[in-house]
Amino acid sequence: MRAPLANPGRGHQQPFDLSIGSVPLRLQMSDSQLLGAASVRYAAFTGATSRAISIALNDFSAVDHAQAEFAYEFEGAKLRASSRGISFDGVKNEYALDSLLRILLSWKLVARQGFLLHAATVLRDGKAYVFTGRSGAGKSTVASLSPAGSVLTDEISLLRRENGVWRGYGTPFWGEFRAAGSNTSAPVAGIFRLVQAAENQVTRLRPLDVLRVLMPNVLFFSAEAEANRRLLDILSQVVAEIPAYNLAFRKDPTFWEVLPA
Amino acid sequence: MSTAPSVLWQKNPALAWREIDEETVIISPNDSVMHELNDTGSFLWKNIDGKKSAAELAELLVASYEVTPDIALSDTQSLLEEMSSRKLVVPVPATGGELR
Repeated sequence: MRAPLANPGRGHQQPFDLSIGSVPLRLQMSDSQLLGAASVRYAAFTGATSRAISIALNDFSAVDHAQAEFAYEFEGAKLRASSRGISFDGVKNEYALDSLLRILLSWKLVARQGFLLHAATVLRDGKAYVFTGRSGAGKSTVASLSPAGSVLTDEISLLRRENGVWRGYGTPFWGEFRAAGSNTSAPVAGIFRLVQAAENQVTRLRPLDVLRVLMPNVLFFSAEAEANRRLLDILSQVVAEIPAYNLAFRKDPTFWEVLPA
Repeated sequence: MSTAPSVLWQKNPALAWREIDEETVIISPNDSVMHELNDTGSFLWKNIDGKKSAAELAELLVASYEVTPDIALSDTQSLLEEMSSRKLVVPVPATGGELR
């Protein structure tokens, strides 16, 4: 366990810009250690962006939330979003920052026809293959059996519908907190539910089964009814537009041979 | 929970739902649980609007399905009881101090 990085004192606020899934974010932070850790972890996702969503980090006086539209607390770190802005407070290390970023993204994406999914995404022939499943299903295995540089994430995928096309994005959210990923995207070829087996076999899922597969693997933290309705709209669209399959696979690269092109 | 024929029923306003593959899928945001309704459940769900009682819903069932009024009412009450226990539907609060 690494030492906490929080600096309780307020110093000079410095912007840290990043973009994940084409969602521009600007962290306003004064903690140099946390800034350094973030710079490493999100190296492939940094860069100046326009119209970024501004987040006040560990600056309790920065945003006076009269009434939060969305609030979430994770192990003492608090996310609050209101019409006055967004704040992350009590962020003691990069793990907490990473968690709040995922939670914020999951909420912001519903207005952008997107969502986060427990899934590995691998590029092949210019398309994004999305392999979903809970811990132990084989996401990391699939990633490790794929060519170097082709894996957009081995843990949490980001899918968005843009101009009528579903795209799978690289994310910085990798298993075991590894800093990896590339800030790129590709049209989604399909969603594959991972089941480890002795033989490779792919079976198309019917729409309701796709939703059954997706629901437990979607990252979503809002208990607000309207946000959940929007999420269900998005997932209904996924079910109708993205082909999805059950993939029984052996722990070797031959599973690629049974995947639809 | 009373499923007496005269009580009016409404959908729980805190839920999200959509029809997929001719079945109704309901998400309860508090626990992210996905509920699925079969054919009859979906038919009732579509008609639960805060203005109808079990008896009135059963009449609609009789008009759309080959089922006797007695069985329709019994099935409707069972389904309402089940949906009520899962907090998918709630009785419309009585006004004027008495239930209809």
